[in-house]
Amino acid sequence: MTRGTHSPSHTCRIVPPYLLARIAEVDDPNWQHAAAAARASLLRDDPFRSIRAPEPHPHAPGVRTTTKPGAVANSPQRTVSTAAGVEKLPGKVVRREGDKPSSDVAVNEAYDGLGDTFELYWEAYHRSSIDGNGLPLNATVHYGKNYDNAFWDGERMVFGDGDGQVFNRFTIAVDVIGHELTHGVTEKTVGLQYEGQAGALNESISDVFGSLVAQYAKRQTAAQASWLIGEGLFTAEVQGVALRSMKAPGTAYDDDVLGKDPQPSHMSGYVETTDDNGGVHINSGIPNHAFYLAATAISGNAWERAGQIWYDTLLGGDVPSTATFAVFAAATVAAATARYGADDSATHDVDGAWRAVGVVPAG
Amino acid sequence: MKVVVTRSGGFAGMRVTWQVVIDNLPDASDWVVLLRELPWDEVADEEPQPDRFVYRIRLEPLADAEPPQAEREATLAEKQLTGPWRELVDKVQDADTPADPPAKPHPSHQHK
Repeated sequence: MTRGTHSPSHTCRIVPPYLLARIAEVDDPNWQHAAAAARASLLRDDPFRSIRAPEPHPHAPGVRTTTKPGAVANSPQRTVSTAAGVEKLPGKVVRREGDKPSSDVAVNEAYDGLGDTFELYWEAYHRSSIDGNGLPLNATVHYGKNYDNAFWDGERMVFGDGDGQVFNRFTIAVDVIGHELTHGVTEKTVGLQYEGQAGALNESISDVFGSLVAQYAKRQTAAQASWLIGEGLFTAEVQGVALRSMKAPGTAYDDDVLGKDPQPSHMSGYVETTDDNGGVHINSGIPNHAFYLAATAISGNAWERAGQIWYDTLLGGDVPSTATFAVFAAATVAAATARYGADDSATHDVDGAWRAVGVVPAG
Repeated sequence: MKVVVTRSGGFAGMRVTWQVVIDNLPDASDWVVLLRELPWDEVADEEPQPDRFVYRIRLEPLADAEPPQAEREATLAEKQLTGPWRELVDKVQDADTPADPPAKPHPSHQHK
């Protein structure tokens, strides 16, 4: 299993030059970060210089080159495998980085979703993969039979096909892929315990960045985004649009057989339960809604200021593995203050968002 | 004796329950052997993994049973659902339709 270290002799595929060049030329203010990152990439080290001249052909294939020691990969290194219907990992490799699309839609969705997730973290936050050091991204599709789930096992993302009656295949929604990968980011940064409030924060961070992956891929502003998690996962038989709604927790589905979306949007609805490690998928509705309120108050693209504040919070060192909502909330306000200043409207918006969901930032 | 399997967690965070009363089943003695062999007291604490299922397996004594039946419960991470535990869960899922709240497909189709 390739994990953690990035070998100096490691071969990786660089972002196709035409793509870098195109991003670097974008003038749109919504694209400032990405354009700056791409321009920096075009200028930085040898591999990029070598692809800068001569003028790249707009349809040139990606250039395979060797990363210099110490350089971080600025493009993903993906491997998608299939478990072919059994519950065994990792399965058989079916698509490697740079390979042509497969005839298998789940393989391609996983591959593209890994790419979209890498792109958000790299272009918006300059983070190279899950570990910040170009960790190869591995996924296994077709796990189990009628398997109604997707998960991150510490080394790879695993996707079931769903049962076809309630759930479609779990690769269908790109935010699910972003959600799973973000569990890896959380594990390598704040390391939040997967239980109680810390567990609900762990879940919420995955929903936040999963949603941002989808928003970034669609270039949607906070006002345009659906803020739904798992849109398209339910079959047409289910009365529901998605698994969760960050905009309106508790409203994603209301089905005569499955029941109603149980997520609260406010601390007054916090659910104490011994199921699901203390209801981590239920109570995540509260911090999810806080992020939504902050991002829409700040307005514009959610991955920019709101996403940056949440990302800074993961790296800031103020979040213990046992963090409560109030402790995490305080850390987001501190992160906003550090980046934008105490008097900036974004900092006030973040503080106000937490208070609106009944969480008073601690200390 | 009622055997109750509750699965919670997963990406969807939905709870599904399957149950079966074994006393009058034609293969009741097989169930009794399987239930007796389960390592009820040897389930280690497992660090929870993101988005994985959690299984709670409970034996509920029938009030009028003679001799009285023991009540037992174990909580297992998905990774721990192997060997006789997996066999039991498969058997319960096969034997009964789900309740509370049921998934639309017969969950006995799962984990095959």
